[in-house]
Amino acid sequence: MARNSTTWGQAPKLPPTHFVDASIYTDETIFKEEIDKIFNRIWLISCHESEIEKAYDYRLFSHPGGKSLIVMRGDDGGVRCFYNTCSHRNNTILRHPAGNAKRITCIFHHWQFDCYGNCTNIPREKAGYGDRIGKSDVGLRQVKCEVAYGGFVWVNVDDQCEPLKEFIGDAFSDMEAELKIPMQVFHYHQAVVNSNYKLWHDTNRELYHDYMHYHNRQTGLSQKGYFDRVYHTYRNGHVQLDSMEIQYGSYEGYEGQRRLTWPGAPLACHKLVNIFPGTTFILRAPSFRVDTMTPLGPNKVLIEFRGLGIKGESAQDRGIRLRDHNTLWGPFGLNLHEDLLAIEGQSRAMREGMERIYTLHGREENNTTHDEIGMRDYYREWGRRMGRPAFNPVERLNVAAE
Amino acid sequence: MSSNNMDKAVSELIYRSCLLLDDMDFSGYLNLCAPEFRYTVTAYSPELLKDMVWQDIDKTEMQRHLELVPKHVSDPSPLSRRPTVYTISYDDENKVANTVSGFEVFRTTLDGGNTVLLAIGKYYDVVSVASKEPKLLHRNVKLDTRQLGIGSQVPF
Repeated sequence: MARNSTTWGQAPKLPPTHFVDASIYTDETIFKEEIDKIFNRIWLISCHESEIEKAYDYRLFSHPGGKSLIVMRGDDGGVRCFYNTCSHRNNTILRHPAGNAKRITCIFHHWQFDCYGNCTNIPREKAGYGDRIGKSDVGLRQVKCEVAYGGFVWVNVDDQCEPLKEFIGDAFSDMEAELKIPMQVFHYHQAVVNSNYKLWHDTNRELYHDYMHYHNRQTGLSQKGYFDRVYHTYRNGHVQLDSMEIQYGSYEGYEGQRRLTWPGAPLACHKLVNIFPGTTFILRAPSFRVDTMTPLGPNKVLIEFRGLGIKGESAQDRGIRLRDHNTLWGPFGLNLHEDLLAIEGQSRAMREGMERIYTLHGREENNTTHDEIGMRDYYREWGRRMGRPAFNPVERLNVAAE
Repeated sequence: MSSNNMDKAVSELIYRSCLLLDDMDFSGYLNLCAPEFRYTVTAYSPELLKDMVWQDIDKTEMQRHLELVPKHVSDPSPLSRRPTVYTISYDDENKVANTVSGFEVFRTTLDGGNTVLLAIGKYYDVVSVASKEPKLLHRNVKLDTRQLGIGSQVPF
């Protein structure tokens, strides 16, 4: 039965953990609070170690909190992270997204810094500052940084944060073997999409939307064992899905036998790990994809897509991996477009100021493939960090009473 | 064929390839391609400091891709490709023309109310001029725009 404005605005007849108020996807105040309470306090992937292979190689990372960060490999092989901000007059010191800089020199007054964040040169230092201030007082602001879980460079701008190992916990327990292989990024692209960042991550946390993907209907949904996969939830809102074998041969034109997989994984293996609040590792052998995102506003998100191969693999194997990746997941791929189209459509329908609407996460199927436990677990963690329940974000939780 | 007529035929091939894709006439597009046709999309990444390959397929793979597009969910907003042929040079020995064309791709919403510039770049085409009717041998779509929003299943 179609609903009127009263019944449309009523909360669903489900437990409050099984739906969210759509204002969490549109409200500017909530968005700003998310940056402060989530993104400024959590471990995020900045880049992959293969993007900074040699001493003094660097990558810039635009942190969701607004800070530009430099991720640099030192001459001791270590990887460190600093604010991309000169200690003198706060100018941006590195401008190219990647490069090699033995000395990091600010264009403005030629202050220089090294790969350890030390200030190494202040032009006419003594003439201007005497003994009042010196190089040792004006090093760069260092940010916590670790290389882990597949060679990714994780950063956290909160000096008081929990260690990365504790934050991740056992979330990668079913992907450990695959992540031990030295990897190399061969594909990188960004997409700015008019949608909320959580809607993108929701899409990576449920496979119910396989109905949308022709490829997934053919190679997964209609295959034996598809509905038996189980989601495993972990502390801090991470979730992992049991693996399965994809039947690539059921997709027209791809009937040939696959020979290339991912070391440590069965042929045509599919694995999925989601890390709160917006990182996804997807192995769809032989392709490996890692998504990270930077929220730009309640209705705008920058998503970074990386395709990974094995470091040192043959050109032939790399070619197979590249082609497989591009077929579905590149900017001209058949599946990625569908996912992005869906979340853009959601945001078009959920605009700030509209009458109250709810988004359902209520499927219960014993935590198996089409159960929406992945999203429920996400919003439990979101509510804990935000001090607001996602089903009614206007009412603040009494965190102390929890 | 005179040089002027050859230039005209090669240019028209490039323009027609865009018009046919705009019309989603995939079989018409494939008819413009030689059997050994290769289609690549590349873009320089200042993040990885190298060229990336976002598509690299032969004619059979292109045909398969285009046959799959209608089975997938797609943004129905039409694309409009606007090429301008800049240069044509001939390799008489191999009977091919090497061309460079600038292009823009626009996306217009279904209600016709909003047209946005989706991408700019260049086509580097190799055209067979061995017979009276030129055919595309290789198209390299070199993109300047690397953020393509929700992307496109249909080639540029």
